Amino acid sequence: MKFSSIKTMPKNVVRDTLKSIERNNLMSAASVLSVIAALIILGIFLILTINVQEVTKDVESKLELKIFLQSDFTDTQKATIEQALEKSDLIEEVTFESAEEALEKFTVSLEDYAPLLSGYNSENNPMPASFVVRVTDPDDMDEVQTLAMSFEGQGVEYVRYGQEYVEALVSFNKFTNTLSIVVLVVLSMISIFIIYNTIKLTVFARRREIGIMKYVGATNAYIRAPFILEGTLLGLMGAIVAFLIIRITYYYILGLVGGNLFLPVDASLASPDAVMGQLIFFYLIYGGFIGAVGSVFAIRKFLDV
Amino acid sequence: MIEFKNVTKGYDKNKSDALKNVSLFIDKGEFVFLVGRSGAGKSTFIKLLLREIEATEGSVYINNFNVSKLSKKEIPFLRRKMGIVFQDFRLLENKSVYENVAYAMEIIGKSEKQIQKRVPLALDMVGLSHRMNHYPHELSGGEQQRVVIARAIINNPSILICDEPTGNLDPETSYEIISILEEINRRGTTVVVVTHDREIVDTMKKRVLTLEDGVLKVDDATGRYGYEV
Repeated sequence: MKFSSIKTMPKNVVRDTLKSIERNNLMSAASVLSVIAALIILGIFLILTINVQEVTKDVESKLELKIFLQSDFTDTQKATIEQALEKSDLIEEVTFESAEEALEKFTVSLEDYAPLLSGYNSENNPMPASFVVRVTDPDDMDEVQTLAMSFEGQGVEYVRYGQEYVEALVSFNKFTNTLSIVVLVVLSMISIFIIYNTIKLTVFARRREIGIMKYVGATNAYIRAPFILEGTLLGLMGAIVAFLIIRITYYYILGLVGGNLFLPVDASLASPDAVMGQLIFFYLIYGGFIGAVGSVFAIRKFLDV
Repeated sequence: MIEFKNVTKGYDKNKSDALKNVSLFIDKGEFVFLVGRSGAGKSTFIKLLLREIEATEGSVYINNFNVSKLSKKEIPFLRRKMGIVFQDFRLLENKSVYENVAYAMEIIGKSEKQIQKRVPLALDMVGLSHRMNHYPHELSGGEQQRVVIARAIINNPSILICDEPTGNLDPETSYEIISILEEINRRGTTVVVVTHDREIVDTMKKRVLTLEDGVLKVDDATGRYGYEV
C-alpha cells in the first residue's frame, strides 16, 4: 500500500505545489528575495574564507626554515645536524647551502649592484652557510626550530623563518572562519524564519483541506510533502539567482583587481572556477535545506488533528 | 465492529466527564442511531472513534483493534477503514464533484485507472452522475451531502460514521440522504448516524443508542427516540 501511494504522489504533489506558489506569489517572491539576500552575504564571506584559506596554504607551502651555521663549524658538526634533521618526521626536505653558494645567490639577486660585492671572495665571505628546511606541516615550524636550536653552539648560529607572517595569516584565517560560521548561523535563522512564515500562510490557506485529508486517512508525510517541496523550491530559486549575481560580480571584481592582492608575500588566489564550483554546490544544498526546514516548522502545528 | 469498554473521557479535571463509563457493542453490518442533547457526549464519541482524542479510561475497539494502542503513524490507516460524513459537508470548493471524490482515492495512492473506474460508480450510487463536473457551490445542500457520502464510501470502508448528516437539510432531502445510507448499510457497511432528527429515528426503526450527560441511558433495538424533548 505504502509503495503505491508514493508512486502516484509526485504528480499530485507537484501540481498542488506549483498552484500554491502561484497563489501566494507575493509572499513567495519575498521568501525568494530573502534567500537571495542571505545567500549573497553568505557568498561574500564564503569566497573570502576560501581565498584566505588558499592564500594561507600557498604561503605556508612556500615557507622555509633557515638554520644558519656558525662560521667555524666543523664537518662532524655539520654531519650530526644533517643526520638529526633527516631523521625527523616533521621535515620534508633538507638542502645544504654553503657560504659560497649563499654569496653567489646574493650576488645574483643584487643584479645591477653586483659589483658592490666584487671585493668578497671565498677567503673573506661574510655569508654564513645554512640548511634550508621545508617542513611537512607548517604548524610544526616551532618544533623544528626547537630541534635545530638544540645544536646552538654546536655548529648552529641561529634559526629563522617568517614567523610573523605565518602567525598573522593563521590567525586571520581563523578569524574569517569564525566570522563565516557566525554569519551563516544568523542568516540561516533569518531565512528559515521568513520561509517559515511564507509556508505558514499557504498552510493556513489550506488548513481546511489539511483537515479533510487527515479525516480521509492521508498520512502526515503525504500532507507534508507539497509544503516541503514548496519551501525547497523557494530556497532553490533563491540559491540560483544569488549564485548568478555573485558569479557575475566576482568575475567583474577579479577583472578590476587583475590578481594583485596587495600582500607582502607571493601568493595566488583560489581559482575562480573552483570557488564558483564550491559555491553553487553549497548554495543548492543550503537553499534547499533552509526551505525544507522552514516548511517543516510551519506545518507541524496544523498536522495535529 | 465497534466496541467501547468502560470508556470515560474527561477534558477538564474541574468539569464533569464528557463520557462516563460507556460500554457498547455495534456489530458488523449494523445500522445504529446515536442520539442525545447537545453536550451529551456525541462528538466525544465520534472523536474517540477517529482517534482524534484518546479515552481517559477504558478502551475503544474497531474491528478488534484497540484504537487507544495505535501509534500516531497508524492513525491514518485506522481512518481509511472508516468513512466520515459531516454536517457541514467539508468539500473542497476549488475542486469539482468528481475531483472531490477522486481526491480521497488519490490520497491513499490509488492509480488513475482505479480512480476513473470507481468514482463514477460511487457518484451513481448517490445519484449524482449528472453533476460530476459541477463545483460544490453550484449544488444544493442535499447534493453536496451526497458528494460527501460518495467520498466517504469511495475507499470501501467497513464503517460509515455520519455526524448530523441531515442537520442542514430540509425533511424531504433528509429522507433521501438517509435512504442512501440505508442502501450503503444493505451492502454490508456498518453505519453509525449521530442525529437530532427525532422524526427520522422514529420512522427508521433501527437500533438507537441514547446518551445523556455522558452516560449511555438507553440501548433500544426496536428504534424509538430515547429521550423526551
